Amino acid sequence: MLDFYRRLYRTIRPSSGDDEPRPNDGEVRADGGVVSDGPAADSPTEPDQGATARLKAALDRRFGSDFMESSIFWLPPFLLMGLFVYGAVIWNLLISLTDYERFENAPDYSNLDFEMYTRAFADSGFIDAAVNTLILLVLFTMGTLAVGLLLAILIDRGIRFENSFRTIYLLPMSLSFVVTAQFWLWIYNYNNGIANSVIGTFGLGPVSWLGNQDIVLYAIIFALMWQFSGYAMVVYLAGLRAIPREHYEAAKVDGASSLKMYWRVIIPQLKGATISAAVVLMVFGMKAFDFLYSLVGGYRPPNGADILATKMVREAYANLNWAYGSAIAIVLFAMALGVIGPYLVYEYRRDNL
Amino acid sequence: MATLELDSITKTFQDGDEEIVAVDDVSMSIDDGEFLVVVGPSGCGKSTTLRMVAGLETITAGTLSIDDRVVNDVKSQDRDIAMVFQSYALYPHMSVRQNMSFGLEESTDLPDDEINRMVSETGEMLGISNLLDRKPSDLSGGQQQRVALGRAIVRDPEVFLMDEPLSNLDAKLRAEMRTELQRLQNDLGVTTVYVTHDQTEAMTMGDRIAILDGGELQQIATPLECYHEPSNQFVASFLGEPSMNFFDVTLEDDRLVGDEFEYPIDADVRADLGDASDLVLGIRPEAVELVDEAGDHEFETTVDVVEPMGDENTVYLHFDPDAAPEHASVLVATIDGFNRVSEGDTVTARIPEDAIHLFDRSTGEALHNRSMKDAADQVDL
Amino acid sequence: MSDEELRTDGGGATADTRWNLGGVTIEDAALYLVLAFAAVFYLVPIESGLVTSFKTGTAIIETAPFAPPGPSGFTFEKWQTAIDALLRGMGNSLLYAVPATVISAVVGSITAYGLTIPTWKKSYKAVVLMLIIAGIFIPYQAVLVPLTQFWSQWAQLDQLLSFVWALGISNDYAGIVELVITHVAYGIPICTLLFRTYYKTMSEEMIESARLDGATLRRVYRRIVLPLSGPMFAVVLIYQFTQIWNDLLFTLVLVSTESSPAAPVVLILAGLGTSLEGQDFALRMAGAFFAALPTLAVYIFFGEEFAEGVAA
Repeated sequence: MLDFYRRLYRTIRPSSGDDEPRPNDGEVRADGGVVSDGPAADSPTEPDQGATARLKAALDRRFGSDFMESSIFWLPPFLLMGLFVYGAVIWNLLISLTDYERFENAPDYSNLDFEMYTRAFADSGFIDAAVNTLILLVLFTMGTLAVGLLLAILIDRGIRFENSFRTIYLLPMSLSFVVTAQFWLWIYNYNNGIANSVIGTFGLGPVSWLGNQDIVLYAIIFALMWQFSGYAMVVYLAGLRAIPREHYEAAKVDGASSLKMYWRVIIPQLKGATISAAVVLMVFGMKAFDFLYSLVGGYRPPNGADILATKMVREAYANLNWAYGSAIAIVLFAMALGVIGPYLVYEYRRDNL
Repeated sequence: MATLELDSITKTFQDGDEEIVAVDDVSMSIDDGEFLVVVGPSGCGKSTTLRMVAGLETITAGTLSIDDRVVNDVKSQDRDIAMVFQSYALYPHMSVRQNMSFGLEESTDLPDDEINRMVSETGEMLGISNLLDRKPSDLSGGQQQRVALGRAIVRDPEVFLMDEPLSNLDAKLRAEMRTELQRLQNDLGVTTVYVTHDQTEAMTMGDRIAILDGGELQQIATPLECYHEPSNQFVASFLGEPSMNFFDVTLEDDRLVGDEFEYPIDADVRADLGDASDLVLGIRPEAVELVDEAGDHEFETTVDVVEPMGDENTVYLHFDPDAAPEHASVLVATIDGFNRVSEGDTVTARIPEDAIHLFDRSTGEALHNRSMKDAADQVDL
Repeated sequence: MSDEELRTDGGGATADTRWNLGGVTIEDAALYLVLAFAAVFYLVPIESGLVTSFKTGTAIIETAPFAPPGPSGFTFEKWQTAIDALLRGMGNSLLYAVPATVISAVVGSITAYGLTIPTWKKSYKAVVLMLIIAGIFIPYQAVLVPLTQFWSQWAQLDQLLSFVWALGISNDYAGIVELVITHVAYGIPICTLLFRTYYKTMSEEMIESARLDGATLRRVYRRIVLPLSGPMFAVVLIYQFTQIWNDLLFTLVLVSTESSPAAPVVLILAGLGTSLEGQDFALRMAGAFFAALPTLAVYIFFGEEFAEGVAA
């Protein structure tokens, strides 16, 4: 243990600074780690500094003055989180390379291959789910952003009852997917649902919203938009509030119409809000599992609405194809990384972390 | 009580790939009980210097000692210093009393009633006894300022550091606090480093002032020395309002030749110049006199603008009435408030030789200054 | 007031062409109409769920889905059934949601403090922060199988806590403990981020002043930062509670069956009202409302904090 610290110390010790020669280095190690022994004996300038104190000082110099003292605050939670998030993802990757299935207690890690991935790309169910996931992500994110932006602009026009309107629009966001799924199940009901009675007044329908393979995915996207557009609105509202009043007035003085002003002056300034809202929405979209599960009360979503999130859980927990489920999870993770990675780099560049 | 020694202190920041030198090789020593004002334009490194003394910034190179103890690697809380911030930095959730006891509670083992007694005493000294149970948000700016001071004083530190403590106050209050701070510092006798961008504060408050520009120490001396014997052109231009007049001149024999005038100098002055020939001639506005006689050091000028201040007038003079305004050299003079001149008048301005400053044009270094003794003689009391 | 006028005038060029109708311009009227329409859109699914939950089987077929039931079609029976079925789940949900919320908020506050207030090199901080923030966005599917492995093979709480089961508590409650730990671990990133945005706005000079006053980092947290964190604690607690209460995936994986005595409310609700004869919508709606009551209550009383939490 002490040896480890010594090596650590030596690697991070800055080349300039107080490097007095330490002839009895070996001795100290030999006598079983009396921490304060070595340096105290032969460094008269810093008589009261033990090895740990010197290590601490070296770390502080390397990482900043409060590094060691502050690590007690963030390091344990960071490790716990890191274990559960990154440790688990790596573990998951490992499992996906095995053939782990059924009621085996643990995966057999001795024989690793990419069989599960080749199996996935040969599985039309997987391809469908991946395509559905992409459609859902793109349409859901764009639709939600558009609705949210519109609501934010309308609400930001200094209306009365602003708080009431905002509260109503954000209300669905506070509800569980499990709960909203019940509402939409009822709305999309073939015989008595609102959806069919509304289009019925225009002489259309009735439509089997959840039964028709070509429609069900869009019906679900619509329901998800209902739930999350309030969120997009809140983000945009914060973005709008951050734009200086002068920009509205300058555009007004320049004679721009309302529409033009928003399109040319205001919306471009909402780029930051759009990016962060889009990232969050896509991640919500990938987690739409809860909604689909609750819609049918089981692992098998309506035909035509299977997404990677549901397929992964179904393969693992209903069919007990653990390794296959893990492989699908890795694909999903890669998709998420494709969204988050650039976002984090963007935020880091803007010094926003 | 303590002495404070900065020896070749340097601070560099890393900005991307670029290294920015914020403080460059600054050395100064502050005596026990001295009031040192560090002054300079914004971005000159004065705050960074103070923050290094406080231990809030690491020192890139050089040594900092308090009472001959090197404290480079000593944490802020172990340096026994107290700091007053521009924003006062009061703890908003604590009452004034709690704000003032916080430091004593954290840094000493004193019993509560002793701390209480000290807080009450300091409160009395500062005239804020009646505010001790209020929250900072219930106080006016001036009162918050006093609490911030009290918080520093009650700890009885070795060194006081003050970072523009008066700049959030209105002008009247600022003038009041200026005197009060001086009085307090005098009574307490605590070594104090005071950072400001305000030259009035610098001139009036400090035992000595240190002038910084571009991270480098330009001069450290008493306020009057800095004013009358600036070490370079920057110091000369930074102190004084309106600022010193400067004219580019070339030395030809024993005459200074400018674009619009020639100025003969005598041998004593000539001797100071060595072999420098590209010079800058400086003269303080209050040294310029309007006279009736003619002579070598008298010039005929036209009055361009008059700014009456009441007690005195600031007069902007042109040497050549026909020169295009953007090229014309301007000589600024402050004259008595009752001395009426008006725009367009032709007046004779004297630039007395015993009041001129001469600087090397390339380095800015002062080659010749008016002597302090001459300056003292000039003041007619 | 002048504030409002300026904003309403946002579309300046059209300002002179619109006309007044008893103080309300046509433009304003259209604006409020759109807003009201949107409000109806957001409320109708909820409203129709609410009225349906009070309907008898025949009333469901005979009345419009959003119309209230007539006096003859009105019944509390479904609510009765739903409450009977879900009450146990409510208790179980509270049993893990409350501790997990409180712990993750406290831990998040401490983590954010360590990563925001003390000074250490920005580039190293950024790495830690990036890893933490990325943790918010990771799809939980990517950790599910290892999580199951971990709790079933590595950390068998079931056996570790055997002294508890000896007291007559069903050992299914091990799942509740697992849920608390799991939700805390995955809640750390978002809680940290929320607190960090708050701590970043704290006066740096105030913290420096406290350190100069001789306070250690621990004391600065205890005496300065923590007492000033109240508003953010409200935001984080509310956000976390809603998230944890609403989450289905972890409960599904860790508790697994809705018949378990430790089944949380979301798990029971997901299967409620589905039987071989078809779906009992009135019962489902009643159940949905009952299960949503805690989060609805939180939302109605602390709407501002909730909005702040999601916007961050």
